[in-house]
Formats: sequence, structure tokens, C-alpha cells
Amino acid sequence: MAVRQFSAAPVVGTFAERLLIADLPDLQPQRRREVVAFIAHRVDSLPSFTRFGVLAIGSVFHLLLAVPGGWGVAKALMRLPLPFVSEYPRLMRSLGFAYVWEHWPSTSPTGADLEVSA
Amino acid sequence: MIAHAATSSMEADVLVIGSGAGGATTATVLAEAGLDVLVVEEGNWVEQGAVVPFSLDQMDQQYRAGGVTVALGMPSIAYTEGRCAGGGTEVNSGLYWRPPGELLERWRRDFKIRDFEPDDLLSIADEVETAIDVQLVPGGYSAPSEMLRDGAAALGWQHAEVPRWMTYPKGADAAKGERQSMTRTYLPRAVNAGARLVTGCRVDRLVLDGAKATAALTTLADGTPGRITFRHVFVCAGAIQSPALLQRSGVHGHIGRTLAVHPTVKLAARFADELNVPDDVPVHQVKEFAPHLSFGGSASNPGLVALSLLDQWSTFRQQVTDWKRMSVYYAAITSEGRGRVMSFPRMKDPVVTYRLTHRDRELLRSGLARLTLLMLEAGAQEVFPSFKGAPAVRTRRDVATMQQAFRASKATVMTVHLCSTVPMGEVTERCGADSFGLVHGLRNVHVNDASLLPTAPGVNPQASVMAFAIRNARHFVSTGGSRA
Amino acid sequence: MPDRAIERWAAPHTTVVTGANGWLGRALVHRLLADPGRARLRLLAHSTADAAALRQFVGARERVEIVIGDVARADTARRLLYGVHADADVLHTAGIIHPSSVRQFTEVNVNGTRHVTEAAIDAGVRRMVHVSSNSPFGTNPHRDDTFRADEPFNPYLGYGKSKMLGEIAVAEAAAAGLDTAIVRPPWFYGPFQPPRQTTFFRLVRAGKFPVIGKGDQRRSMVYVDNLVDGLLAAELTPAAKGNGYWIADARAYTVDEIVETVGRALTDEGLSVKPPATRLPVLAARIAETGDRVLQAVGVYQQQLHVLGEMGHTIACDISRSTAELGYEPRVELYDGMRRSIRWCLENGLEL
Repeated sequence: MAVRQFSAAPVVGTFAERLLIADLPDLQPQRRREVVAFIAHRVDSLPSFTRFGVLAIGSVFHLLLAVPGGWGVAKALMRLPLPFVSEYPRLMRSLGFAYVWEHWPSTSPTGADLEVSA
Repeated sequence: MIAHAATSSMEADVLVIGSGAGGATTATVLAEAGLDVLVVEEGNWVEQGAVVPFSLDQMDQQYRAGGVTVALGMPSIAYTEGRCAGGGTEVNSGLYWRPPGELLERWRRDFKIRDFEPDDLLSIADEVETAIDVQLVPGGYSAPSEMLRDGAAALGWQHAEVPRWMTYPKGADAAKGERQSMTRTYLPRAVNAGARLVTGCRVDRLVLDGAKATAALTTLADGTPGRITFRHVFVCAGAIQSPALLQRSGVHGHIGRTLAVHPTVKLAARFADELNVPDDVPVHQVKEFAPHLSFGGSASNPGLVALSLLDQWSTFRQQVTDWKRMSVYYAAITSEGRGRVMSFPRMKDPVVTYRLTHRDRELLRSGLARLTLLMLEAGAQEVFPSFKGAPAVRTRRDVATMQQAFRASKATVMTVHLCSTVPMGEVTERCGADSFGLVHGLRNVHVNDASLLPTAPGVNPQASVMAFAIRNARHFVSTGGSRA
Repeated sequence: MPDRAIERWAAPHTTVVTGANGWLGRALVHRLLADPGRARLRLLAHSTADAAALRQFVGARERVEIVIGDVARADTARRLLYGVHADADVLHTAGIIHPSSVRQFTEVNVNGTRHVTEAAIDAGVRRMVHVSSNSPFGTNPHRDDTFRADEPFNPYLGYGKSKMLGEIAVAEAAAAGLDTAIVRPPWFYGPFQPPRQTTFFRLVRAGKFPVIGKGDQRRSMVYVDNLVDGLLAAELTPAAKGNGYWIADARAYTVDEIVETVGRALTDEGLSVKPPATRLPVLAARIAETGDRVLQAVGVYQQQLHVLGEMGHTIACDISRSTAELGYEPRVELYDGMRRSIRWCLENGLEL
């Protein structure tokens, strides 16, 4: 499948970044970029079928961000209990949060580094 | 250097695909019997201690797909597969459970496994226990382990320390154990006996000529194709990859249709004092409700604590800064439901699905609630169950609210054990391989890993996998190598 | 009651019983009357009619005093325990299982229990025994599961929730210093049953008792005299303080077994029985349960729907801690118990 040859970064990256900004607004931009790169790298390592599905749903969210008011629609979509669709932001968050707290355990719930500010 | 890079053209008398609990033991038995054995491993050789246990780095280097593999369903069940020399044994909890005698009896009876005496298998287990240094912790337990023990004791629920395949410096505490995984034990032993081990080589499919496999088509680490010719092959790639490989090779039969797992749900508990141990897992398990339910402790580094709060992040997120006072625990069930592994043409990875029955969902709810009660009895200040809509639990009344809010479809359900995709035995309508792992309908293709276990055993399966693998490999040797 | 070196108290001077005219109440009072060590009995009857029936049941005995009052009212418990002090035990069996409206669950099972605990604390009684149920714990997650002595709450609908809150009220009183013990009986059967319970026997005789699915659901049951044994053991065992105990027959029975055994008991007591013919799919029980849930949510209670909804479930409990700590041994099992029950019904003019 042709999809295999493409990196996930463009499709996944913009949305992952937007999600991180919303979830962890105080996360330093440099750290956020690191997390986004990690998420994209992980999506690239997914088994082929899962990766295809993730990229398909990811494309929808990615396109929404390009449209005015699209983020609001995306947020509404994420709140609906739709199978697979709701698992996409969940995957982004799981990967992102696991990375943040494993690497910077003193991060606050909004992304600020408590050790630095202390 | 034990492992070598693969080359594009290799041959052996016996090809062993996969170097985990099944592959490493198979290779050892065959090599020590004088056979010419080649072990092919898709992943790389990673030394114990080279990566931090349970870290994202470890998931990258020693797990398939960075640990992000999922069985689709409502809910989907996340699972993990080892993908490295030594397979799952390099990354699992290390907890060792002999297969229960009644279970072996039931398998023998229900699947008609012939020439099978549970006692004989248990004496193989004795050998394994010596070979991989199965033992109890000589020194002190971790605090999270003690909490589990204390909560169970307060409720009068049967619990025990589970031995692990670890060596310890004299009298050392639990966290100082050195894991006696396959890379430390059976793989060096197999190589010493003459087996060859290559890593970074993936078997794409087997070439069949009627009922006989003649070669394996491979992809090497650099992406170039390769070929291995052999007289016999043992497929030990794990309960997902073994059936997938057989399917890709055009093998039909009861393969990939009865995946059995131990669906697991989790919670995070916060205590008054700091207790978090980021790189070790509790050795105590609660077996009061066995075989249906089992409680234990999970890896709890700060990233995993954050993950356990994720389902209900809107209200639970404030807890994440308190991770030092928190630990993650699990409730695992034996599942009535089953799953499927399905390979499709030109798709590298199989699609995996799983269905939970009504009883499974009820058991997940009951298990998580009983575990929550145990945590309160152990002195937890607050318990955070990992499902969407979960209340924080402080009192027994909160446990009622939690149980009534629980839906399996809203929980993060996972499994670390995968079994039964090529069940062994002589019941043709249920079994994919015969009583010794020879794939039904084929003359020289064996399976020798967790795929053979007829059902998920309700305990950590590695001991069962190893004992059966050794039994089957010895049978192969003593019968002069099957019917090829 | 077998005594294996378990420390026991002597019977108290005054025994106070709520719900005295009920099914369990009467079986209990019957036993208490036979114990000369219990100098005074003070029984709560719910209404004047109740009190009259109760007086007729106990006969004209001076040692029995009957107080009239609804336990749901705040002043009833105070009046009941007026003049009662330390050499007294309170056996609280009053409760409502099949109410006319859902509101009564709270009024009787929660508020009533709270009123009794408060009055008991003020009176300084020696111990209060509270009769709870399996209902605060819901149903077992699967056929082979059994409730242990200590389980998480998972109340089954309105009754379950009210009994859970009742247990919580008792636990709060224990924390405030009251010496309490809780007994948890499952489905009980035996002599002294109220007329509505004859439906059960009639259905079995007609071959119409609804068996759901394969009938392999397990149900713990307790013969009412076994329950009285357990209740009195919980009352008189000092070590029971603060604990809760399952009081049931030695093992759970499958629904199929229950129907077959009751049928056999009826036959052996000389009554005709048609073979069981009513088998409903599991779906029927699920629908009934959903219907029950919906109705209760709007305050309506429909007994048949409730019972049918519950029939698809397993409710099984483990009595080993009761045996170990209280010396509780169930002396009667299903066949024998049902025969006694049937005989009692016939002797008391109830038509089966």
C-alpha cells in the first residue's frame, strides 16, 4: 500500500500539536515539538492496518484544522462516543502524555515544569 | 557475540522462527540433541539493562510497533508483543507460575492431547525452574507490593508472593533482581550447543510444496529479500505472528480463530507516603478469585501513572504531580470471549480482533471493584479507576458509585498475555496443531509457542509455554523428526 | 448451636425486636420465647392490627411487651427503647422488601435503621444486630462466582440501595461507639411465611415457575431457622463486633435444582405437581430487569417484574467466615426445609 511510504508527520503532527496546546498550554514549545516528533515516529511504526486507519482518521482531523471553525468541530467530534474516531485523539494523548511525564516527571497538569519554577 | 546478522541465503536442518520463550527452549533442546539449528529473530539483540525497564525507549527497541498494537473490538484491547532476541521474556514482569494441575487435566481432556501426563509436564517445569533461577525475593519487598499484600490480608483474600526468574545479590531487595530472560539463559545455551542465531531478519512466508514446507522467504534488516531452506521448521513467533505467518503461507485450518487473552483493567491508588517504584513491578498477586480473576501490580513510572489517569483526565489530572505517592494496579480476568488473527494479501501485519462477552464485562467490573476495595483496605487515600466517567473513590459508598458507572466500553482494556491461536490437540474441529505442535495437515511445520496453549491459563503463561515447548521438542527428537 | 471454644455472652435481660410480626420476626420471636434466659422481650409491631396479631401469636405472657409504631417515624425507636439500658440487645429485622411505593425503601430501610441506631446509642444497649441482605452487593459477575465475607457495594436497584445505606448507617453508628453486628441473609424460605409467598409454591405445582435459560444460575437460600441460628450467634458472640456475616444454607442451589427439589417436596407432602414447563430465554429476564429499573427510577415498584428480572442472575455467598467466627452451622437444607415449610403452610390453612 502506498500509504506505507509516507511519514505520518504531516498528517498527524499539526493535529497533535493543536491537541497538546489545548491539553497542556504551559508546555514549553521546544518540549512540545519533541513530543510531536515522538508521536509521529510512533505512528510510523504502527502495524500496517492500524497505521492506515490512524492516518485515514488523522487526515479528517488534519483537514478540519485547515478550515475556519474546524477546531471547534474537531472538539465536538472528539466528545462523541464514536468507535475508532474517538480512539484517534486518545492515541495522540496516550503517546504524548506518556512521553511528557516519563521525560519530565515534574510537569504540572497544564504542562508547566514545576521544578523549574520552584 | 551470540547473535549475527542474517544473509540472503541460509540453510539449516531445522529452522526456528522466533527466539522467545518457545523458540529459545526449542532451539536448545534440538541443538543439544545434535541437530543443526538456525534461529531467526525479527528484532534485535538488546542486553538486559541497556534500556530502562518499562520505558518508552524499551517499547521502541524491544516491542513490536513501539508497543502500540491493538485488537479491534468494542472496546478495543491494547496488547503488547515482544520483538527482540528473547522476545517477551526480556520485557515482562518475570513472574513465574507453574501451570495448575487441574488446568492441564482439563486441556488434556477437552482437547484430547495424547501421550500427555500433567505430572510429566510439571517435572519439566522443575528443570526450567532451575535453568532460569526461579526464586522468591531474598530481601525486602517494594512498598507497592506490600500494599497489595496488606489489602488482601485485611480482607482475608488469598494472596501470595510469586517467584520470578531473577538472580539477586546476596539478600538483596526486590528491585535488585537480574532478570534471567532468554538472552541470559537458553539462547547462550543453544548457541553453545551449536545453534546459530541471526537477528534483524523477518520471515515473510513459508514456501509450501503440498504438505511440506521447503523454504522461508525473508526480509533482512536493510530491506533486501532472503531465503532460508530447511528440512523442518518450528514457528515460535508468538500467538499473533505465528498464525499470521501460517496464514500468509496459505496454511488453512484452525489457525488464528481462537485468540484467548487475559483482559485487564487498571486503577491508580494514592497513599499517604511516597511509595512509587518506577522500574519494578510488585511480586504479590491476589488469587482469591482464581482462575476467573487475578489482581496484581503494574509498572508505575510517572508516564504510566499519567496514562492511568488519562481516561478521566478532566477530573483526575490534578493527581499527576503526586505520582510519587501513587502506584498502578490491575485486575485481570480469564475471558469467555475470543478473538481472531487475520492476515490479508499484501498486508505485512495481521488484523486482530477480540470480542468480550457479557460475562467478561461483568467480571471486569467486579474485578476492578474488588481491587478498589482492596486498595482502600490497604490504606489508599484515594483510588482512580481507569475508565471514562470514573469517580475518584475514597469510601465504600464511592465503590458502589464506581461499579454502577463502569462500562467495559469506556475503560482502557489491555492484555499482556496472548494465547490459543493454534490450539494443540486431536480434536479436529478445535485444534490447529496436533498433540505435539505439528500443524494439522502438514508434515514438517511445527508451532511451539503460546499459540499452542488451548486456552489462556489464568496465570502468567511463560512457564506453561516453556514446559510445553521443551516437551514437544523432545518428542520431535525422540521420534526421529516427524514424518517428513 | 455447636460451640467450638468461641466465647459467648449470656442472653441479655431484655431483648428488643423490630419487625416482630414479620416472617423472620415471628420465627425469631418463636425461638426467643423458648429461651427462659431472656427475661423480657420488647417487640415492635407496625400497627394496631399487627400488634393484635402478634399478641395472639405470643399468647398472654407478661414477659412480652408489645410497642406499636412505624420504625420510619423518628419517635418510634425512642419509645421502643425507653427504659432500656445496658443489659439489652436490639435485633433489628424491620424492613421493607416489596413496597407499595419506592419511597418506602428510604423511609423504612434507611431512615428507620438510622432512628434505631441513634436510639440504641442513647440507650447504651449492649449490642445491635442489623438484618441486611445480599442486595447491597448486587449479583455475582458469573455463574461460578461467590460473594466473600467482605465485598464492594453494588446495590441492586431500589431495595439494594436502601439496604446499602442502612449498612452504612450501622457502620457510622459503630464508628460512633455502638457495638454492632450485621447479618446478611439471601433468599429465605420456611415457616411463618406471609400469604403472598404461597405464589411460589403454586407456580411450582402448576409447572409454571419461570426458569431462565439453562436454569444453572446459582442462588443461595436460607431456611428461616438457620437464619435465626445465625442471627442469635451474631448477637451473642463478642468477637462479631463491627462485622458483617453471610447467613445461608451450606451451599447455593441452581434454579433447576430449586424447582426440582420443591416439586419433590410438594409431592412427598401429598400435593400434585406438574412437570416444570416454563423456560424463558435469558433475554426475557434482561427485559424484565430493564423494565424493573425503569419503573423504579420513576418511583414505581412492580413485584413480579422485579422477581423475574432477578431470576436470571446468580446470587451466591460463602458462609465460611460465619462458621469460623460465629460457629454458625446451617442445620436444615433445601428438601427438608421445603417440606417443613409446606407442612407449616397446610397446617396454618394456607392454600398451595
